Amino acid sequence: MSQRVNLDLKKELFLYGAKEWNQCFQCGNCTATCHTTENGFFFPRKTVRQVLMGLKKSLQTNIDPWLCTYCGDCSRTCPRDANPAEMMMSIRRYLISVYDWTGISKLFYKSKTLEVTSIIVLSIIVMVLYLIYTTFPSGDSSQWIGPDGGALINKMAPWQTIHLGDWLMAGALVFLVITNIFYMWYKIIYDDKSLKVGFIDYLKPFSKLVKLINPDVKYAKCDEKKLTTYWVLHAFLALSYGTLFAIIVFFLDWFQTDTVYPFLHPQRILGYIATIGLTVGIIYFYTNRTLKNMENSKYSHFTDWTFLILLFFTTLTGILLHVFRIYGLPQLTYVTYMLHLMVLVPMLVIEVPFSKWSHMIYRPFALYFAHLKKMVIEKSKTIPHQPQYN
Amino acid sequence: MEEKRIGVYVCWCGTNIAAMVDVEKVASGLKELPDIVVSKDYKYMCSDPGQDMIIQDIKNHNLNRIVVAACSPRMHEITFRKALENAGLNPYMFEMANIREHDSWVHTNRAEATRKARDLIAGAVSKVKWHESLEKRSVPVNPATLIIGGGIAGISAALELANAGKQVYLIERKALLGGTVSALDLTSPFLNSARQMIDHKIKEVMDHRLIKVYLNSEVEQIFGYVGNFETTIRYNKRETRLNFGNVIVATGLKPFDASRVTNYGYGRLPNVITALEFEQVLKDGVILTRDGREPKNVAIIHCVGSRNEDYNPYCSRTCCMVALKFVNQLKSALPKATIIDIYSDMRSFGKGCEELYSDTSKKNVMFLTFDHKADLPQIRQASYDDPCNLIIEFKEKFSGEPIEVPADMVILMVGMEAHENAKQVAHGVGISMCGNRFFIERHPKLDPVATTTDGVYVVGTCQSPKDIPDSVSQARAAAARILATILAGSVSIEVTTAEVNEKICCGCQTCIKVCPYSAISYSQEKKVSAVNEIICKGCGTCGSTCPTGAIKSKHFTDIQILSQIEGLMSLQEVY
Repeated sequence: MSQRVNLDLKKELFLYGAKEWNQCFQCGNCTATCHTTENGFFFPRKTVRQVLMGLKKSLQTNIDPWLCTYCGDCSRTCPRDANPAEMMMSIRRYLISVYDWTGISKLFYKSKTLEVTSIIVLSIIVMVLYLIYTTFPSGDSSQWIGPDGGALINKMAPWQTIHLGDWLMAGALVFLVITNIFYMWYKIIYDDKSLKVGFIDYLKPFSKLVKLINPDVKYAKCDEKKLTTYWVLHAFLALSYGTLFAIIVFFLDWFQTDTVYPFLHPQRILGYIATIGLTVGIIYFYTNRTLKNMENSKYSHFTDWTFLILLFFTTLTGILLHVFRIYGLPQLTYVTYMLHLMVLVPMLVIEVPFSKWSHMIYRPFALYFAHLKKMVIEKSKTIPHQPQYN
Repeated sequence: MEEKRIGVYVCWCGTNIAAMVDVEKVASGLKELPDIVVSKDYKYMCSDPGQDMIIQDIKNHNLNRIVVAACSPRMHEITFRKALENAGLNPYMFEMANIREHDSWVHTNRAEATRKARDLIAGAVSKVKWHESLEKRSVPVNPATLIIGGGIAGISAALELANAGKQVYLIERKALLGGTVSALDLTSPFLNSARQMIDHKIKEVMDHRLIKVYLNSEVEQIFGYVGNFETTIRYNKRETRLNFGNVIVATGLKPFDASRVTNYGYGRLPNVITALEFEQVLKDGVILTRDGREPKNVAIIHCVGSRNEDYNPYCSRTCCMVALKFVNQLKSALPKATIIDIYSDMRSFGKGCEELYSDTSKKNVMFLTFDHKADLPQIRQASYDDPCNLIIEFKEKFSGEPIEVPADMVILMVGMEAHENAKQVAHGVGISMCGNRFFIERHPKLDPVATTTDGVYVVGTCQSPKDIPDSVSQARAAAARILATILAGSVSIEVTTAEVNEKICCGCQTCIKVCPYSAISYSQEKKVSAVNEIICKGCGTCGSTCPTGAIKSKHFTDIQILSQIEGLMSLQEVY
């Protein structure tokens, strides 16, 4: 089935941060340097070609951008400065908008104004709801301070109320993410008529669980040595983020307490380690993106900055909230908690299903699908010398 | 008959000969042979002392024949002939025995090699006895030049010669000068106007008092030889006789007939046009499809008729850059249109060309590749609901994807071919053609504008596909070569030619059929063949074919060859 070429697809990709890649003359250097390349799998050259030719269908079902670790070797050694690595990232953004069936993601990626406006509107909604369902610590402040000197946060904003909000939000997010992943599966696996995937095949990739969980081991083969630091800090940030996310969704009653525990109590220790993870990560990524000293931080789409800034303010308000609570400042605690939620909720609602954050979900699934595809192709052996992913 | 006084000189060539041949023994042994007055050996005969020794001996011993046994005559025959001339002897009273390439270098047994050297020298001695004095001759050069073809190459050569004060006859088949260049809009890679360039030159040619331009005229057969050609040209239904000393062939190219590639539907689909037709569109100033609409998608297909065994196996060299020129012109004329360049390999060698490719590739142009050997694109009319006029279908080479390209206009980059009447021209001026019907130069690297026929030069695209700068360089190089001949005033001609003994000749004309230089003609009056000694190169083919022995190849007469063989065999019993 012939596909029609489309020069406009490239123009559309410019909105996702793409640069001009017309310099590419298909020498194949990127594929040769890439450590993710496997036999018969033209990575990332094939993707560049699909973009240049405007093969929309091929590009939408392409899994390659998710497998890229953005070590930058290809961009660094590209003889025409066509920047294949950043292209992979731009296509990721494009794919996020493709998988998002609601179409909201596309709007956010294309319009800075719309994204910022949505964040502000969401913040205001959160503020209004917070003011309605919580109590301001007015009058005598001693009423709002517990026996161990900490502000009584659950008296102002009971964890049950917040938890209910959390669950409503998490439910919506999970619904969106699951449907998007289903759509991704539909595009990558189901729509590919050449693949015959049986039910049992879906279990097979789990035999290579280590490879699935830790795909970034391939970093070790890249030329850029700074990437080890990058990977460690990225993992630390992601773990910290994930931990805090799990705590507030599932264990808010354990985390949001009126009692001020001793310093070495697990609640405080866990909180501190996660906070350090977030802070160090934010500072590191912010510096990288400002100094542009690595291939993967040379180009920043505005959505990259939005995510970092929202995460920064969430962490900052979180730290302040903690400080004000343990030092018994009820009014400040109340206001800071409001600000904290005003940043946190938009960050989750906007970024998780529609923007950068979603790579945390899509990437593992993409790796899973890639292995699945590879195994199915190897089993069928229809094209023994040229297993193709898409 | 005069007394034969022969001097024999055996060269050591350092150790090249002396290591394998006992040169001293050979030299001293030869003294016993009759007629040999002097027999010497020396380290390097070709050196100044070696030559001086020969000159002194000629004077002191009154020698009248010389044999040098040394290297190949190709190496030093002329050196020794000059030495003879300096000593006052006719240079053809000389024979060389090759005891290096034919002996010392190829043998391993010293005794055998020594014997062979002796035999070779004995042969040479026997031959030289029969040598005759031959006189060098030269013919004056007519300073006029005939240039066939009034394209950029012909014009450049004409101006170069005429500005040096020499008469030029410029023959053009068409009604206008300028050739293919006058059909172009801009030139690549610098996007200068072709018209501005060529119009200026044409005016200069037309106004030049030393250039006589014959339009609508053709040349058939050229007679004569370097320095003295003549021909009759047909021009305005009249015939004019011209005399000239040199010929420049600049007949140019013929664009490939795109309808031969049936895949592209040229001639059937009105919006599929050739590069030259598109040049005309550009010159007209409005880019419109045949139905008068502005094209939204313009596709360019490279290598039409080139680099494919079914059509022409060679690369036409200019089309890639012309295509990039089109891309740039289209980009500025139709900024909203999609330009698709379908190529096989982008060949952007030469000054400014890679830069043009690099710049163009940064513009928003879609570059697609196809397999020029196996998988040519297929163009078809788009269906009614397609948003375009034509659909190009092919398997994109880099991605391996079967694709469809929408297009409203397709430009075919047709290659260059030799003219259909190239064979007539080649026959008329006496030059040869290669398998692709382009004229052959004398040496592809060291003599790229001359041909094997003295006084005939090939320039421009009739020699091979090339761009304007290459054509102009070749034209001016040919002009320089011709000016050098004119400046010398005369050209020396071969003396070792064939000669017909009219008394013996039976008029069978076998020699005429075998002569590779068309140097022999048949005289109806005398019923015998006659050799034009100026055209003859002395190859000897006619002499060996002649059934009656009427043809004598000077310097290689029957008696000379037979004596040499006799001499070679004569010493067998002695050793």
